Amino acid sequence: MNSYIDDQSAKPVDPRVIEAMTPYFHERFGNPSSLHGEGDEATKVLEGCRRTIAGFMNAGLDEIIFTSGATESNNLALIGYALRNKGKGNHIIISEVEHISIHNIAKYLEKNEFTVSKLPVDQYGKVNLHKLESRITPETILISIGYASNEIGTIQPIAEIGQLAREKGIAFHSDTVAAEGLIPLDVVRDSIDLMTLSSNDIYGPQGVGVLYVRKGIRLNPLIIGGGQERGVRSGTENIAGIVGMSAAVEIMGREMAEEVKRLAGYRDKLIKHILDRIPKSHLNGHPTDRLANNAHFRFEAIEGESLLLSLKDEGVSAATGSACSSKTLEPSHTLISTGLLHEEAHGSLEFTFGRFNQEADVDRVIEILPPIVERLRKLSPLYKKEEVTT
Amino acid sequence: MKSTQYSEKVLDHFRNPRNVGTLEGDNVGWGEVGNPVCGDLMKMYIQVEDDKIADIKFQTFGCGSAIATSSMITEMAKGKTLDEALKITRQDVADELEGLPPIKMHCSNLAADALHEAINNYKTQKGETTLKVIRTTTGEEKEISGEKEFLGKGVYHAADDLSPFADKRVMVVDRGKRSLEIALELTKHTGRVVVMTPGKTFSSVDAGLAQNIKQSDIKIIYESELLEIRGSDELEKVLVHDLNEDEEYELFVDAVIILK
Repeated sequence: MNSYIDDQSAKPVDPRVIEAMTPYFHERFGNPSSLHGEGDEATKVLEGCRRTIAGFMNAGLDEIIFTSGATESNNLALIGYALRNKGKGNHIIISEVEHISIHNIAKYLEKNEFTVSKLPVDQYGKVNLHKLESRITPETILISIGYASNEIGTIQPIAEIGQLAREKGIAFHSDTVAAEGLIPLDVVRDSIDLMTLSSNDIYGPQGVGVLYVRKGIRLNPLIIGGGQERGVRSGTENIAGIVGMSAAVEIMGREMAEEVKRLAGYRDKLIKHILDRIPKSHLNGHPTDRLANNAHFRFEAIEGESLLLSLKDEGVSAATGSACSSKTLEPSHTLISTGLLHEEAHGSLEFTFGRFNQEADVDRVIEILPPIVERLRKLSPLYKKEEVTT
Repeated sequence: MKSTQYSEKVLDHFRNPRNVGTLEGDNVGWGEVGNPVCGDLMKMYIQVEDDKIADIKFQTFGCGSAIATSSMITEMAKGKTLDEALKITRQDVADELEGLPPIKMHCSNLAADALHEAINNYKTQKGETTLKVIRTTTGEEKEISGEKEFLGKGVYHAADDLSPFADKRVMVVDRGKRSLEIALELTKHTGRVVVMTPGKTFSSVDAGLAQNIKQSDIKIIYESELLEIRGSDELEKVLVHDLNEDEEYELFVDAVIILK
């Protein structure tokens, strides 16, 4: 059987979620905007889901906007906020290790008369609060820093960033996609104004997401239409999808504490055995402040796509930050931001565990990876054995 | 087409590469091609008898297609005369492998170039062609843009006390024995020490010190020079010039030591 250990790329939908969604495709199909029984029921269902999801992040009912997923939520947060608040200033701060969607939205805003500062990170991928503070200008209107890196798993000091932004009167957005289901979210504790969530990242269906918008924060809508979601995001609500996300949130709420322990056990076992058994191997990301499901390595003198091909032959699915596997032939910007050379980022390998992994998956990687690395190193002109054994 | 959608033949050469290794001897020529930014590196060795390629070996650091094209070309070139082998093109290699994903045609299809380099190297040894110009590296005390601006803000001209570098990403520019000793000492304070040297080796210091550096956890960047220090109010990254490939790239560091 194949071992899929790439949860950060995509997750299967939990069968319990599919069961909860199924009636809403045919039996309970109403449009919440309609003034009849079916419509009324749809409204009730929609608001029930909104309550469930709001509760999970300590938000108010009118602070939840349903979207089509994390990318749309990020667009609405950054572009919607920037356009609505450009009278206050034109400066936005993001970090170097943001998800590619944030980087590309930032580029778009730069073309539209905003200036964007990219906050550098340390060797573990963490932002520094003093450096953040030094970047703030009177023109700064928005700070966007992801809760944790989807690649190297490093967790940011979100509560401290939120507090600083609140003190300075700057809106704070956080993309929580990588951390969802692994860290309890609380918009009040963390002083968050805008927060991106995705349904698939907690084993709900694709195509649904949420943007948390704190009361008083104003956004320009990006999708104009029938005025749904308080006019911020038009379009007939995806009731089945929203029911799925809500079911996913409920399951996660019940199971997270145990699940995090289980995944951290897999993560720690894998990290220990791989670093012990494979010479010239390194852990990318923070040694302790890292997501429970993330083990990110790099191996000197070999390349990530070769590793993935070899793992595929052995029935293991993982990911890499190597340039050779990307559409742009650029290595992972996150790895480069932590201070790695391109050739080092080349040799990276990422495992992200999830709900449907078992300990056998960990054992399988521990068994097959060392000989794969050894084989590829034998082909490599960069690997000199004598430098390792002495 | 995804970058990893390879033909069965590519996968076969990736899984079972032919002619891996190196060659030595009088009738051996070798070539090396690579791309420091992308990171691929390929070494090709040929042994020539009666103007024919009698044996051929390769070593490759790179993706699946880089390994497969290297392996493929060794089979194609073996037994051919040098002039015949010089006519093998990148396209020929791709065709023989039943095609490569378009994105891989240029970046990871360097095997023909490596073979041609090896043949030219052999011919040069035999006096049939003239030596290519070898780039020399000087620039010992060359002005580095931003060096003065960031002095004390990440740039150091001396490093007697190493405690400020604890857990930092430190780059040490090779300025001879003392700078390399500092680099070695720094590995006790931080996990990330990068040494940048313009040469292919550390020729200016004794072999023992050079060996210690190579065996340490220090990351060595050979044949490179520092062009620029970049940051906002403090140093954040440096611009590196790869002298061998004449390419520039940025590297994130927290401190740079340039002994004066």
